Amino acid sequence: MTPTDMDEAERQNQTSEVFRNYQIPPQFLDEVFRAPGAVHPHYETVLQHFLEFSKDEFKELNEHAKMSFFNQGITFSVYSDKAKGVERIFPFDLFPRIIPAAEWARVEEGLVQRCLALNLFMQDIYSDQHILRDKVVPADLIFSSKNYLKAMLGFKPIGGIYNHISGTDLIKHSDGQYYVLEDNLRCPSGISYVLSNRVAMKRTLFQMFRQFNVRTVNEYPQELLATMQSVAPRGIDMPTCVVLTPGVYNSAYFEHAFLALTMGVALVEGRDLYVEKNFVYMKTINGPKRVDVVYRRLDDDFLDPMAFRADSMLGVPGIMAAYKKGNVNLLNAPGTGFADDKAVYTYVPDIIRYYLQQEPILNNVHTYRCEKDDDFQYVLENMANLVIKPVDESGGYGILIGNKATKEELSEFKALITENRRKYIAQPIMNLSMHATFIEGEDQFEPRHVDLRSFTLLGKDRQFVLKGGLSRVALKKGSLIVNSSQGGGSKDTWVMAEDGPSMSMEQNGSMEQSMTMNGQTMTMGPQGMSIGTQGSLSSQAPGAQ
Amino acid sequence: MKTEYEVVYRTHNTYEQNVREAFFSFLIQPCPDASQVVKSVAFSNSLEAEVFSHANSFGFEVMNLHTMKPFTEFEFQMKAVVEKSQPVYPLGSTLPVAEEQQLLGDHLFYLQNHLYLGFAHYTRLQESLRSKLLMRAPDQGVYDYLQALNTFIYELLEFDPEPTHVCTSANEVLKLGRGVCQDYTHLFIAIARLNKIPCRYVSGYLNQGLNLTGSAVMHAWAEAFLPGFGWQGFDPTNNLLADEHYIKAAHGSDYADCSPLKGTLKTNGSQKTSYSVKVTPCPLPETTPQPHSISSQMM
Repeated sequence: MTPTDMDEAERQNQTSEVFRNYQIPPQFLDEVFRAPGAVHPHYETVLQHFLEFSKDEFKELNEHAKMSFFNQGITFSVYSDKAKGVERIFPFDLFPRIIPAAEWARVEEGLVQRCLALNLFMQDIYSDQHILRDKVVPADLIFSSKNYLKAMLGFKPIGGIYNHISGTDLIKHSDGQYYVLEDNLRCPSGISYVLSNRVAMKRTLFQMFRQFNVRTVNEYPQELLATMQSVAPRGIDMPTCVVLTPGVYNSAYFEHAFLALTMGVALVEGRDLYVEKNFVYMKTINGPKRVDVVYRRLDDDFLDPMAFRADSMLGVPGIMAAYKKGNVNLLNAPGTGFADDKAVYTYVPDIIRYYLQQEPILNNVHTYRCEKDDDFQYVLENMANLVIKPVDESGGYGILIGNKATKEELSEFKALITENRRKYIAQPIMNLSMHATFIEGEDQFEPRHVDLRSFTLLGKDRQFVLKGGLSRVALKKGSLIVNSSQGGGSKDTWVMAEDGPSMSMEQNGSMEQSMTMNGQTMTMGPQGMSIGTQGSLSSQAPGAQ
Repeated sequence: MKTEYEVVYRTHNTYEQNVREAFFSFLIQPCPDASQVVKSVAFSNSLEAEVFSHANSFGFEVMNLHTMKPFTEFEFQMKAVVEKSQPVYPLGSTLPVAEEQQLLGDHLFYLQNHLYLGFAHYTRLQESLRSKLLMRAPDQGVYDYLQALNTFIYELLEFDPEPTHVCTSANEVLKLGRGVCQDYTHLFIAIARLNKIPCRYVSGYLNQGLNLTGSAVMHAWAEAFLPGFGWQGFDPTNNLLADEHYIKAAHGSDYADCSPLKGTLKTNGSQKTSYSVKVTPCPLPETTPQPHSISSQMM
């Protein structure tokens, strides 16, 4: 649909108090704008809708979206807050991040490739260690990882899968390419926000949303359940699956409950399970019930006090032995943590070539290993443009960000690296792309850095990549840190079903039906029934005509 | 010559308050190996809970039991009959020093033995403490060296159950200069590994007729890999080689892999645990058992 001249004029007038001061970041890629006033084609229609909102309308929509989170119960409270017990939501931004179909297809291919290669890598490390024999990856790097578990040596999980659920963090660099920042192969979280962001989006801007052919995300729980069922112990037709949570004090407890609820399986804590004769049972009011597959949202250390940390009261004594007998399956497999290590990350492209004889589809951020002479020279000469990290620490400790460091810090680090070259790697400072984001208080759109956490499921003979993911936004101006604990927010992420004209009359989400009568739209869908009034907000929308 | 032993391991725990749920794991039964045959093994427990087993990371059988019936007292007993023969000893070093070192430096050899070459909590020695350790001389054979190391540790440490506990590391032992068999063994392992010799922790039982240190309870010693020969046991606590008087239960990288008893209990209040070991050569008349009240530490 092309806007009529009159629409155009109207648009120019209203334009958008909310976009008036938008400044395209000079050295970063802006996901929405190519140049001032020039929009990337796949954003054209959406932006047009947003331009039609006045500041007050937008603020109202924003409040509406917030309420959706409170109503869905997706809140958390911060213990250190002065106002104890105040429920908060993770900030959600209504302007969706859009990924064209062709672009996504390539990302998806790359994710599957990477996750499959990492699975083969883990299988190899816990069996014949060919990759270590061939010295493609240094053995010490693996053996010295505290997440390398001898309990997994010589054991192959049912179905041969280790990383059933992978959360791969991607960024879009200023060169327009996707780069993998991190592989999360233990208990990646965030999926509940992806699904609730979509619900909030639909509740708030359904009339707009329904005009786009966006790939659905709400099949994720069923896909996860099917993944669990595919790796059930031999001979079990209707496996009993559960979600094992550390409990209500865990910051991701909402997600654990959410997944159990949406999959239709029991949510259990360690104390609800026990092991008898190497089988796992759940205590129920009807007596013991055998458990076949456990999606555990508990770190390896705490999983089984008989096998790992003896003081863990969160785990299930004896579950590792039951697992190794093949009587229960665990998702993800214990001992995956050595493979998503920072130091191992640098070898992932080699790992992909080694096992799949393919070139990696997704880029790795280039990494300089200080132990190599020419890399070391390069690092010393370009410290101001690099991020320097110790290989064996996590949580952001001991990191130097070259362009933010003082002279003293730089020379201090120079000494540190020279002393222990083996311990340090360096990477170019990555330019995370930016995306128009509504900033409360300023009440306008401003560019903010975003990344993308993707979700990939591997089961026996099945693979699934969620079409979309969690686009995390660094809400603080200039900040590159997108973590929710550090003032990050998120966006709904739209993977388009097809490219070309960005508008479509097709219904999205096959499970939804809507009916329009006397200006009222009634919608039935997986999120229940809703009734909306067609007001000025959607009068320009082609779907309503 | 063959000797038959009866090995009895007994533990008795009492709890101040009801235990509502419990899970116990025992790694205590003698294992079959080149110089020992397990003729029979039987378990009994006061809870009459069914015992079930699994193989641990190193292939040794672990016996488990789980109960949800409340109790305040728990007794567990393992009784095994083991036929022990004289192990084969190395006749000095079988390979020239250069060949031994070539094997120890081989990449594939390292991969195959990495679990016995790494350093963790028990076996990592501070750089600053290393100067006073006995290291292999450049022209010294591995067997020769390890025998010297056995004596070195025997003389360096004083046997004393007081200052150390199950979590004591080789670093602490070195600073204290005293400890029990677990500590002697960890120090031996740590130094052998610094010399790139694969070395593992062994738990088991001693013939009680010889007045050896540590024979009253479960004992610990080390096994090191001799190029051209294989695994050989060294007991630094007694400055001996492991011979037909040593009945092996399990081995692992360090104590953490060989802990004889682990348990998770749901209870309040304190507990008292005691255990005893009786190793009797079968043809001989029985000696009186010697119960020892200790807190699950091996001597």
